[in-house]
Amino acid sequence: MADVQLIGVHKAYGATAVVKGISLRIESGEFISLLGPSGCGKTTTLRMIAGLETLDAGTISIGGELVDSEKGHVPPEKRALGMVFQSYAVWPHKSVAENVAYPLLLQRKPSSEIAQRVTQALEWVRLGAFAQRMPSQLSGGQLQRVAIARALVANPRVLLLDEPLSNLDAALREELRGEIAALRARLGTTMIFVTHDQHEALALSDRVAVMHQGVIEQIDSPQKIYQSPSTPFVAGFVGGANRLEGRVEGRSFICGAHTFELPERVTAVDGPATLAVRAEELELGSTGPSLPLLARLFLGSATEFRFTLGESVLRVVGPARDVKPGESVRVALQHARLYPR
Amino acid sequence: MTALPLHAKRGVGRGEGPARLFTLLLATALAFFFGVPLCLLLWQANAPGLVWSEVWLAPESLQALAGTLITSIGAAAFAFTIAVPLALLIARTELPLRGPLKAIFTLPAALPPFILGMGWVSLANPRAGLLNLLLGAGTFDIYGKLGISFVLGTAGLPLVFLPTLAALSRLDSSLEEAARLSGASPLRTLLSISLPLALPAALSGTALCFLFAASAFGVPYLLGVTASPPTPTLTTRIYGEILMGQGGLPRAVVLSLELLVLAAFVLIGSRALAKRGEVRLSSGKGSSLRPMSLGRWRVPLASMSVVLAVVLVVLPLLAVALTSVQPVWGQLSGLSAKHWSGVLGNPRTIDATLRSLGLAAAAAGLVTALGLGIATTRRRSLELLSGAPYAIPGTVLALALLIAFSRDLRFVLFDRFALVLALGNSVWMLLVAYTIKHLAFGARNAADGLAQVDGTLAEAARLSGASPLRAFFDATLPQLRAPLVAAFLVTFLTCVTELTLSVLLIPTGRDVLGTLLFELQSYADPGSAAVIACAFVMLVLVLQFAQAVVARKRAH
Ligand SMILES: Nc1ncnc2c1ncn2[C@@H]1O[C@H](COP(=O)(O)OP(=O)(O)OP(=O)(O)O)[C@@H](O)[C@H]1O
Ligand SMILES: [Mg+2]
Repeated sequence: MADVQLIGVHKAYGATAVVKGISLRIESGEFISLLGPSGCGKTTTLRMIAGLETLDAGTISIGGELVDSEKGHVPPEKRALGMVFQSYAVWPHKSVAENVAYPLLLQRKPSSEIAQRVTQALEWVRLGAFAQRMPSQLSGGQLQRVAIARALVANPRVLLLDEPLSNLDAALREELRGEIAALRARLGTTMIFVTHDQHEALALSDRVAVMHQGVIEQIDSPQKIYQSPSTPFVAGFVGGANRLEGRVEGRSFICGAHTFELPERVTAVDGPATLAVRAEELELGSTGPSLPLLARLFLGSATEFRFTLGESVLRVVGPARDVKPGESVRVALQHARLYPR
Repeated sequence: MTALPLHAKRGVGRGEGPARLFTLLLATALAFFFGVPLCLLLWQANAPGLVWSEVWLAPESLQALAGTLITSIGAAAFAFTIAVPLALLIARTELPLRGPLKAIFTLPAALPPFILGMGWVSLANPRAGLLNLLLGAGTFDIYGKLGISFVLGTAGLPLVFLPTLAALSRLDSSLEEAARLSGASPLRTLLSISLPLALPAALSGTALCFLFAASAFGVPYLLGVTASPPTPTLTTRIYGEILMGQGGLPRAVVLSLELLVLAAFVLIGSRALAKRGEVRLSSGKGSSLRPMSLGRWRVPLASMSVVLAVVLVVLPLLAVALTSVQPVWGQLSGLSAKHWSGVLGNPRTIDATLRSLGLAAAAAGLVTALGLGIATTRRRSLELLSGAPYAIPGTVLALALLIAFSRDLRFVLFDRFALVLALGNSVWMLLVAYTIKHLAFGARNAADGLAQVDGTLAEAARLSGASPLRAFFDATLPQLRAPLVAAFLVTFLTCVTELTLSVLLIPTGRDVLGTLLFELQSYADPGSAAVIACAFVMLVLVLQFAQAVVARKRAH
């Protein structure tokens, strides 16, 4: 168990900057998620912590020890970390037990200790009965459990997980997510979890760092991230808010030809602003601007309505209503966040 | 009828009347020119009075078998030792100059081994070799078992190098990165993760290298027959027996069987290994290749690889070039163009060159067309059968053809027309031999190409109203241009200087480039042989360069 500290970390591939000055402190025993859209630099950040990439500027320390800076680079094998890959990376020429034993073998542990710890690690991931199987005889979910056991068996200082669940189907993903949470509670290892799935990040983490184009936009507890996103991007990415560009005048938000009344709890300052409103924070009814309905999608527990708003589409989720595409309905804000520009 | 076999029916459409006839025709031709000769060879071996064990256990035969086994094991071991570390470095690390190194170590595949042998004779003939002239007589001796193993190992290097490289390139980097995070150093990672995963491919290639060395004729002849003590191998013994005429033929046949059995065993082993490799490599998704950094070993390892490339491939070719401009062989006395003018103006050379070019072009055309035909039938058995002649040692194939077609064959049709097939002692025999031997090149390239062709294109043509044949020519064939051109070129280049078959099947009094090279080098005039070799190497280099340029253009 150790803390991890990144200060002003930069990384570029050729001329394209991929990570642009990330600073991040992860406490010992903390579970933190790096959340962001594809290509935002999550994997690159994680790989720099692992030592698989070298950084261009900044420093990384693990457990108070400087492992990466412009002056020097500690190779991955000397960092005492564990890592789980999206592609499982279970060695196909070694049995399950041999895969899990490998890190201990490299530490020259006595064979009795290796056997005992391998058995224990396989119990953690409920693969005790599979020790002698070859990887080709396992399913995707089982392979990823082997990878988790292998990453944890040597008591790593930090466990790094790069989208470990994204190659699995929905039900398995749910199940393994629960197991990761349970393991974490049991072992208390510091964990850094990379994902582009907001549900995963919100469900598992102590804190979530939302990344966008190589920088961290917000780092906070899952509740804070969800309830008070600090930028329009975070609001849009976590919770899927509609983002409207416009201008505040008094208690009104003017977006093109339409004017929305701002609810009372929204504090407003006159001037140009971005308004973020989640689909379930909009209400169809008798107030607000009248917008033409584009499409109606039945979601099961609710119905999604899509309206044309200038050039863009406004999504509203609410109870079913009998409106047909082409008809106009009034749409009102119940809640919203304003980001002055 | 179920919907499933639809895919199997793409192509010209097996099962339809004309297509079935076409398949039958191809199969008959293969049987006539390959199956029948092989059966006749086996039949000859059962001639009364011929006791196999007597021939096999005769001291000269045991000596030849030992020669074959030792040189082939030596060549395979050498190729494995050099090719596997190189493939690891080139496929998995940030070694500088990976591209050029790969090209140089692949080059021997495009050259006749005999030319490499000539280069080493020029370098390390105990009396007259350039190295020995520089370092004192007798420092190096390329003749004998060690020399044969070395030259054949170099020539067979690509057989191990290329499949190992291919297997390693398919490995997902995260397999290695997982090992690094488990605490393994880069070297340990390469040895305990990457190498075991590519080992089946490497071993299968090594077995093929063994087969290649055991089937080789030119190099063992060049470096074995005049060695002291002489180092016979099965192929050179068979050649010697055939030259002795009727008396030697039965012994040649029985020794051929011995070589054939050896080849079959090795081939089966190689196939099994290659298959094991396939299963093991299929792992995970989202694969990606990130070369490992070498740190401070980068420069030393790169220098070592470059030295190796220079010594193994560049040096012998340079030696051939130098020999072609050395006025007197074995003396360092200035340069002269006399061999070049002598050879280029010589009617015998011109005659042999034209014959070789014609034969090679015809054989390459036939191989490409027949290979395409075989691939379009989509019959696995026919494809396998067409690969068999390539797996059989050239000496054995030549002997079988010699036995089958030494007399004219007369077919009488409808009591009226007599069809006389007079192949024996004619250039046609060479054409048949070249074509049969290299049919695998055409069939494999065409089959691989067809496997990648988008079948819906031909289906769209059918729906536009084209007949199956028309759809094939209009929609499918244009997509096969690259593999077919590759098949043509590789067959052409192999046949232009083909030696093993030519030496046994060439009509008396005629030459092809291979036999001319062989004769000049072995008996008369290494300088002139070097000129021909040099010209050929230049042709290969120009063609390879052109191919690379075309490939690069297409990629853009
Ligand atoms: N080796 C490389 N060379 C050049 N560019 C790279 C390399 N690796 C990543 N990139 C680029 O860097 C950017 C960030 O990549 P990274 O893999 O960190 O993204 P990510 O956030 O993990 O995305 P994803 O969710 O798709 O995995 C991408 O635009 C990618 O194209
Ligand atoms: Mg990623």
